[in-house]
Amino acid sequence: MKLIAKYNRVNIIATIAVMLSASICYFFMLRYVLIRQLDNTLKVEEAEILNYVKRNNRLPEATHYRDQQIRFDPAEGPVKRKFNNIELVDGHEHETNPYRELVFPISVGNQFYKASVTKTEEEMEDLVMLIVLITMGLIILLLLILFITNRLLLRKIWKPFYDTLDSIKAFNLSNKKYEGSPTDTEEFRELDNVVQTMTSQIIKDYDTLKNFADNASHEMQTPLAILNSKLDLLIQEPGLTETHSRQLQSMYDAITRLTKLNQSLLLLTKIGNNQFKEVEMLSLDSLIKQKILQMEDLISTKQLQLTDQLQPVSLKMNEYLTDTLLNNLLGNAIRHNVENGSIHISLDNQKLLIRNTGPALSFDPSVIFDRFKKSSRSEGSGLGLAIVKQICDNYQYTISYFFKDNLHHFEILF
Amino acid sequence: MKVLVIEDEQLLSESIYKYLKQEHFICDAATDYATALEKIELFDYDCILLDINLPGGSGLDLLKQLKENKKMDGVLIISARNSLEDRITGLQLGADDYLPKPFHLSELVARITAIIRRRHSAGNNLLQFNELIIDILAKTVFVNNHLLDLTRKEYQLLLYFAYNKGRVISKNAIAEHLWGDEMEGASNYDFIYTHVKNLRKKLIAAGCSDYIQSIYGMGYKFTG
Repeated sequence: MKLIAKYNRVNIIATIAVMLSASICYFFMLRYVLIRQLDNTLKVEEAEILNYVKRNNRLPEATHYRDQQIRFDPAEGPVKRKFNNIELVDGHEHETNPYRELVFPISVGNQFYKASVTKTEEEMEDLVMLIVLITMGLIILLLLILFITNRLLLRKIWKPFYDTLDSIKAFNLSNKKYEGSPTDTEEFRELDNVVQTMTSQIIKDYDTLKNFADNASHEMQTPLAILNSKLDLLIQEPGLTETHSRQLQSMYDAITRLTKLNQSLLLLTKIGNNQFKEVEMLSLDSLIKQKILQMEDLISTKQLQLTDQLQPVSLKMNEYLTDTLLNNLLGNAIRHNVENGSIHISLDNQKLLIRNTGPALSFDPSVIFDRFKKSSRSEGSGLGLAIVKQICDNYQYTISYFFKDNLHHFEILF
Repeated sequence: MKVLVIEDEQLLSESIYKYLKQEHFICDAATDYATALEKIELFDYDCILLDINLPGGSGLDLLKQLKENKKMDGVLIISARNSLEDRITGLQLGADDYLPKPFHLSELVARITAIIRRRHSAGNNLLQFNELIIDILAKTVFVNNHLLDLTRKEYQLLLYFAYNKGRVISKNAIAEHLWGDEMEGASNYDFIYTHVKNLRKKLIAAGCSDYIQSIYGMGYKFTG
């Protein structure tokens, strides 16, 4: 829930509750005041009647108007003076209306009467109703204005916050830029400063790490070159036995693996650093055909059946990366295959699909693109597919792996 | 043939020096920028091996200096930085070739030989070993004046052997030379054995002596 919504919810509920209880009090107070006023009128009427009786020693005429009635009834016992609320039926309309009545004793000579002066409350009710309606209208109007101003005000006040949030969202390590959002609100300025410090620290750390990986890989090349050259010299020595040779071969193989590993790490760093910016339109189908031709030796050694269904597809990619991508995918399909196995490659405008036979994975397929994830049988660097994934990510292609019908499937959606 | 090795890493420089000497090259070495500059200006070499990162300066500056002095020395850059930009810069500045570290000495020799041959090729593009003749320009092979039908890989293999005559070449070096990056897919070197076997068969069938020796399955030697 948004801050504004949350704030508004609390605010409006509280306002409505206060306004509602205030209206109820207001209603009763208003009513009380008006009834007191009515009672005063009735008292004046009473005084007039008493005065009339005092002066004339007889009862005045009973009147019977719609809004005011005066009645006199002979009373047997003593009459208590009091105000009543009563309902009376109107002669004409046959409906009951509320009236306020003042009953008081009056004596003419020795005769006691119960006098009652009645006044209609109808007007008062109408008045109360009107006042309440106007008040309600005002409350609603007030709430509406409150709601809108809150919204506008909050939006304005919180704008720097949302700006900062947008800047954080837009931040990524490859463009390495955090756009600050200047504001005069102290809290938000502080937030912005903290984020700015944090992002610059992140960028610095990332660069350090990247440079480290880069430098470490490069620094490893020279010792590897020394090892290689010393071995090249060593195998020239006369008098090497077969045992020596076998051990030398193992050393060669280990150095070759280390070299490949190092090159793969460097390549990953370079792709991550976006160092392959040059792109051109490449005909993927002919590149695949070329690659198949290049790998003929590897394919025929394992006696693999290779079939392809290649439609002409052109993509804007970096040539070296495309070559690496095909190299690693096809290389994997060959290396992790079985003798007399098969490879199927299909390509159309939507996707590239490579299927091949081979023993099932010995690990969870979901981590197949992770670095250094490989089966214990594999002599690869464990980086081939990580590189493939990185290249796909670079071009926003989706790569997925699944095992179906006893075939490994690698699918790239363009 | 005179070669100057400009490489700051003593151990690597020694290896190259030793290997090249065995190949009957006349070798000279420099381990820093100043020494290298001095030698470049004083002498002429057939080929210069140039490392880019040197104490006291960049190999690329040496290359510029060389071209300014209109020297005709062949230049092979050997660098730990295997980046496309470095390669392009180097070649644009007039280097003949670019070999990233780490490399096999047999590969280095093949490249140096190729550079020198290109520069002094005038009329001489034939490599001859008794009855075996390799025409480097036409990329053809003759045995007893009969043209041999070789595949591209077999020809490359034979030329690589020929350039490294009398030296043991490891299978790893051969694999890297012939297949380079595509080696991603290989888990063994059986296919090298197949190619060497085929090449030998064709040579022997054409009446050529068996110059290619297998060294305990570790590598091969061309005895020429």
